[in-house]
Amino acid sequence: MATLLAGSDAVPKSPAAWFDALRAAALERANALSVPTTRDEEWRFTDLTPLTKLQVRPATAATSLIAADIAGHALPEASARLVFVDGILVPQLSQAGPLPAGITVLPLAEALQSHAVLVEQHLGKIAGDELFTALNTAFLNQGVFIHFAKDAVLKAPLHLLFVAAGQDVAAHPRVLLVAESGAQGCVIEDYVAHGEAAGLTNAVTEIAVAPNASLRHIKLQRESPKAFHIGTCAVSLGKDARFASQAVTLGARLSRNNLAILQQGEGIEVVIDGLALIGGRQLADTHTLIDHLKPHGCCEQVHKTIVGGGAHAVFNGKVFVREGAQLTDSSQQSRNLLLSDKARVDTKPQLEIFADDVKCAHGAAVGQLDPEHLFYLKSRGLSERAARNLLTYAFGAEIIDRIPVPTLVAKLEKLVMQQTGEKAGDGA
Amino acid sequence: MSTVLDQLVSQPYKHGFVTDIESETAPKGLNEDIIRMISAKKNEPQWLLDFRLNAYRHWLTMAEPRWPNVNYPKIDFQAISYYAAPKPKKKQSMDEVDPELLKTFEKLGVPMHERAALAGVAVDVIFDSVSVATTYKEKLAAVGIVFCSISEAVHHHPELVKKYLGSVVPVQDNYYAALNSAVFTDGSFCFIPKGVKCPMELSTYFRINTQDSGQFERTLIVAEEGAQVSYLEGCTAPKFDTNQLHAAVVELVALDDADIKYSTVQNWYAGDENGVGGIYNFVTKRGLCKGRNSKISWTQVETGSAITWKYPSCVLLGDNSIGEFYSVALTNHRQQADTGTKMIHIGKNTRSTIISKGISAGHSNNSYRGLVKIGPRAEGARNFSQCDSMLIGARCGANTFPYIEVQNPTAKVEHEATTSKIGEDQLFYFQSRGIGTEEAVSMIINGFCKDVFQQLPMEFAVEATKLLGLKLEGSVG
Repeated sequence: MATLLAGSDAVPKSPAAWFDALRAAALERANALSVPTTRDEEWRFTDLTPLTKLQVRPATAATSLIAADIAGHALPEASARLVFVDGILVPQLSQAGPLPAGITVLPLAEALQSHAVLVEQHLGKIAGDELFTALNTAFLNQGVFIHFAKDAVLKAPLHLLFVAAGQDVAAHPRVLLVAESGAQGCVIEDYVAHGEAAGLTNAVTEIAVAPNASLRHIKLQRESPKAFHIGTCAVSLGKDARFASQAVTLGARLSRNNLAILQQGEGIEVVIDGLALIGGRQLADTHTLIDHLKPHGCCEQVHKTIVGGGAHAVFNGKVFVREGAQLTDSSQQSRNLLLSDKARVDTKPQLEIFADDVKCAHGAAVGQLDPEHLFYLKSRGLSERAARNLLTYAFGAEIIDRIPVPTLVAKLEKLVMQQTGEKAGDGA
Repeated sequence: MSTVLDQLVSQPYKHGFVTDIESETAPKGLNEDIIRMISAKKNEPQWLLDFRLNAYRHWLTMAEPRWPNVNYPKIDFQAISYYAAPKPKKKQSMDEVDPELLKTFEKLGVPMHERAALAGVAVDVIFDSVSVATTYKEKLAAVGIVFCSISEAVHHHPELVKKYLGSVVPVQDNYYAALNSAVFTDGSFCFIPKGVKCPMELSTYFRINTQDSGQFERTLIVAEEGAQVSYLEGCTAPKFDTNQLHAAVVELVALDDADIKYSTVQNWYAGDENGVGGIYNFVTKRGLCKGRNSKISWTQVETGSAITWKYPSCVLLGDNSIGEFYSVALTNHRQQADTGTKMIHIGKNTRSTIISKGISAGHSNNSYRGLVKIGPRAEGARNFSQCDSMLIGARCGANTFPYIEVQNPTAKVEHEATTSKIGEDQLFYFQSRGIGTEEAVSMIINGFCKDVFQQLPMEFAVEATKLLGLKLEGSVG
């Protein structure tokens, strides 16, 4: 635990007293907790021992990366790009605009002064107080505040690029997104690596979506195979809001994605897509929680994993339908493809229902490629390897093709095709 | 609609009465002396006493499980009496069996000898903790089947009991299994030798009778190579206000090509509509498919008990072995059920099927918790799970916690779950055909549970259908 808290005393003081108090409380909480073990139900299949052996500290020095280093990660569609290197915002690599009226994107430190009321109202109020969230808050210094004013529409996506570059660096980036009623937009969180450094990214994103607003959140994680990635995204939705979450996990030695969605009003529609494609000794863990608190809510979730080599995929999807949340329509699918003898999947779709007039279903399936499908492709002249790659790719493409950013889709398709070949090859 | 429902739900327990038989009861509390006393009373050999003491010492080091999705006040294990036996008296024939006892069975609608004769069922009657009458013994003995109480088996077949007792559920397995291993008083033992198909369905009726005496049954069924047996267990209990703890252990062992079918209908006292009283049913049931091509099938209809904590499981060790689990769990009023199964696939080409139907009404809470585990060597393993829930009323809960752990790419695992309610349009359809609400509900529920009832032996299926109707009488409308 002490290693994870190293450097927390060096976090600079802020101008707002409440903000310092929030950090102090989180530090106290983190100190009181211990690193979860596999005896904790929430971490039953994910062993954090390798992480505790790492001696990580927050980055202090300015980055030496130049624009050319990250040029490959650019998305032409993006309306603006914010670049964080090792958790620190780098203005010279970012492109802040132009943004349409009503859309504000600011470093958190600036927002503390210019949007003090809004930030105080939401920061730390949506994400829970689990250890890694508390750690992120305790180290809170760098981050971004995004505000969509009433009825503001952002057509092109906002690109947040988080680059992990330094060895033994702990990055604790924070995103706070507030969408007022009727606003519309799309935000991409893109976690990449520069080099093969082993470090920790512990990101927390809090999203407040007001009634009638519509938001899409895309998260892409392709950090180095030595990295540790813990990402928490907590979303609070108002009446008739729409929210789509799309997450693709390709990288990191150990990654954990937490997604919690609270349906605080009636008639909310949510779509959640997830894909993890891993091989080697990678572990990808996804925990989602959909909490239907009010009637007429809808949620459709598909989570897919493709597991090769000696990799290990974990999925836990909780769906709660609270008392009174009648006419909820919630479905959840966990689909898992095992490519090699040593690959492993642990999945647990979990349904807890306390209302009688609801439609809920969940399903889980684990299997390998269908021999008949392979045979069909081979009868058309494809080699065994090409047929396997094509089928594996098609399995993942169902999720990727739903992302409405063409260059990102093209980039991901290329990556997946390439990784499919590599990862399937590990054990086949 | 809801008033009819409420009436149905608030039916009094029809099997609530106390039979007046003197019983010899051990002082309350649990310590090594009590265990020695139980062992001495039952005239047990030293190895069994050692087994009990070993279990007790393990139990002392263990903590009560807190993970189930149930709530109940802390149990004071020192306030329970661990031994109660009907007054010892030798009995030569059925006529000498206490008429009170026979009357009890009649009140339950189980006229034992009649039933035995009509249905060809050998009934090993368990009244509180000691077997008092066993029928059809000779007929079974003729084909070499041993079917007796476990205490008898300890004396007459010590080598078998010693070999298999605790081989499927080890003493340190879990808190309640350890407790049971330390203090179990009686239960059934069944041994089907090589190549024998049991000529009739074997059946035991368990009853809890003495107030405040927890019942710790131990059942052990061993089917040798090629043997076949179908075993029925049915339960009802008199009405009491204090909670009674029931922690049974059931172990099944199937060797090569053996086939064991274990069916349960459980209707213990569930407490009144405010959740006062009722049985705590914390049971460990596990079957080991030890041999190749062996098969173990569990079927359960759980309608009683204030709290049910029960996961009949199959360890599929032998290649090509098969595990099945069919369950209907109904909860009403303040009942809580956390039940399901574990299918542990170890051998090659092992197959398992899970069909679970949960019905919740009133303020009850019904959880399915299941584990499907495919080990790294379980080539070609296959599982299909389906768990459906039905909610009746807006104040009950239905939960599913399916754990799926796969470590072999050739395995195929499928899990499906749905939740539904009895639709107003369905009821309207029935009513438009002249079928009353209650009957319509009963038909819909029977349709919902059909996949499971089909697995029950005929007499049990009839009983189960009636039981569900009775439990939900007046509760849906």
